[in-house]
Amino acid sequence: MNAFLAAVLTATAPVVLAALGGLLCSVSGVFNMALEGQLLWGAFTAVLFSHMTGSAWLGVAGAVLATTLYALLLSVPAVTFRADPVVVAVGTNLLALGLTAFLMRQVFGSGGTFSSPDLSGLPTLAELGLDLPVLGPQSPLVPAAFLLVAWAAWWLGRTRSGLRLRGIGQHAEAAESIGLRVPAYRHAAVLGAGALCGLGGAQLALGNVTLFSEGMSAGRGWVAVVAVMLAGARPWLGLAACLLFGAAEALGFRLQGLGLPQQAADAAPYLITLLALVVAAATRRKVRTV
Amino acid sequence: MLPAMRTVSAPTALVAAALALTSCGAADQPTASPGKSVILITPNPVGTNSFLQLSVKGAETAAKEIGASFKLYESKDPTSIAQNLDAAVRAKPTVIVGVSFSFDDLFATVPKQHSGQQFLQVDSCAKDQAANLTCVSFREHEAAYLAGVEAGMLSKSGKLGVVAALDSPFVHRWIDPFFAGAKSVNPSVTGTPLYVGGNNPFSDPARAKSQAQTLTGQGADIVAAAASAGNQGVFEGVAGAGAKAFGVDVNQCAQSPGTVIDNVLKHVDVAESAAIKDIAAGRAGGVKVYGLKEGGVGVNALDGDLASSGCTVASAPDVVTKVKQVRDDIVAGRITVADPLAG
Repeated sequence: MNAFLAAVLTATAPVVLAALGGLLCSVSGVFNMALEGQLLWGAFTAVLFSHMTGSAWLGVAGAVLATTLYALLLSVPAVTFRADPVVVAVGTNLLALGLTAFLMRQVFGSGGTFSSPDLSGLPTLAELGLDLPVLGPQSPLVPAAFLLVAWAAWWLGRTRSGLRLRGIGQHAEAAESIGLRVPAYRHAAVLGAGALCGLGGAQLALGNVTLFSEGMSAGRGWVAVVAVMLAGARPWLGLAACLLFGAAEALGFRLQGLGLPQQAADAAPYLITLLALVVAAATRRKVRTV
Repeated sequence: MLPAMRTVSAPTALVAAALALTSCGAADQPTASPGKSVILITPNPVGTNSFLQLSVKGAETAAKEIGASFKLYESKDPTSIAQNLDAAVRAKPTVIVGVSFSFDDLFATVPKQHSGQQFLQVDSCAKDQAANLTCVSFREHEAAYLAGVEAGMLSKSGKLGVVAALDSPFVHRWIDPFFAGAKSVNPSVTGTPLYVGGNNPFSDPARAKSQAQTLTGQGADIVAAAASAGNQGVFEGVAGAGAKAFGVDVNQCAQSPGTVIDNVLKHVDVAESAAIKDIAAGRAGGVKVYGLKEGGVGVNALDGDLASSGCTVASAPDVVTKVKQVRDDIVAGRITVADPLAG
């Protein structure tokens, strides 16, 4: 059971970080579909900086910084020039796929997968002296991801700036009329999402595994987008949605071992998405009619 | 080849195509050279891709032996293959070699348009094969069976696993024979395959690692990797649990020192150079299939340089002896390895 829970947390952590970023954007009124590309960019830059500096933590810092900068590609056109964020996001996602593959060949001299015994990965909590059940084999970024969700829930619900961000998302003109600088808040949200995706990518490439492989975000950013759509402005709900996906994945692996066909296990996250969307829509309608 | 090639997804290809437009690749190579020549086109940059390195070695060896010049046209990515093939056709060499299924589409049409030119496709075969297209394919299942024999002898828990990219018939060549080989030496072993699947099954090391951990968590002490670019994830997961693994296609033992027992090898150089020599001698066309008998597939345990391979099977001489005996039995036809593709 502990192994199962550990597997759920490992699979979920990068998605939670990306989803939290997407949620902040969604709350501010920018629909952020660029999470997949930013996760991939974060994973690549984490490996790049870790490889160059020999320190996993500098890799994490580099990934956060580089992905925040990468998020400018979304925030400047979408917020400053009022371009459609969905269209811009599709562009940045494609760019991340091509750019990481291209840079990988330039920097590491090979395509496909880069891994090296010299590449330093994040230590586990057990290695740092915290040998807890379930959390022991995780990197410190995993508990950090869940703490960040708690922080976001508190920030959005209890602080002035958090409430202002929500107000901007709900009615930008009204927020503007009381003197709030709407674009500044939105820029901050999109760049913050970039930083969180950088952290998520670093966890994926230096925590979950210690390597970079082309396209290794493998749809996790899209799962995060779905989680954001389910959660609305509620971080805890977003976390629950991510955990549900993580559990479906980890459970799918185990059910495969018991004879469930791989194709069915593969379909599980999508079935759960559909179910969750239907349930969410149904509850929302009920609330409205009452 | 199982790994690497299938990792380029459609969006990557689109962006890569845009990048490729700005460069001319090998298209500006000098045309027409007198005498014999061999041109090898790779679907990706050779770089550190050991499978492609082997294919270059094979073509070079063959060219030297038949007294031909050798040229390598590296494609930057699968989309620039067409440009390289075009340049190769204009150079009119003795034979144009294309590696992997990335050539399936082009080799279905181009050889028919240039009936005087000989083509060779390695590790796959285009549909509706033209008379001037020779194909080389492998009986990977025979090598997987040998790896299974090793696993069956070395497993203490009697539980084996395979982490494979997809539940597809071709990938089963690395799964079913592996378990069959293990059962041939220890009938009580059980085997569990897990499939990476998901959005990017051939390049999702995080999921591959999680699969490997699932298997070791269920008591498997040997896990064979057949997850392409995810293999490294399998090695990481297995090493963390103190279990052992098998690699695929090339010697992957050094990628995770002390963890990899042996590899299901594909000697693409041997097969390719033999096919090039055949074509140069006028024996072109058809599909040439390479198994253990032809030396086209194998495991590191059969190689002379086993001691320096870094594979842990080197420290189990009884296993090496047994594997050699089983290899002889397969070659002599005393053991037939069932081919999952044959249904």
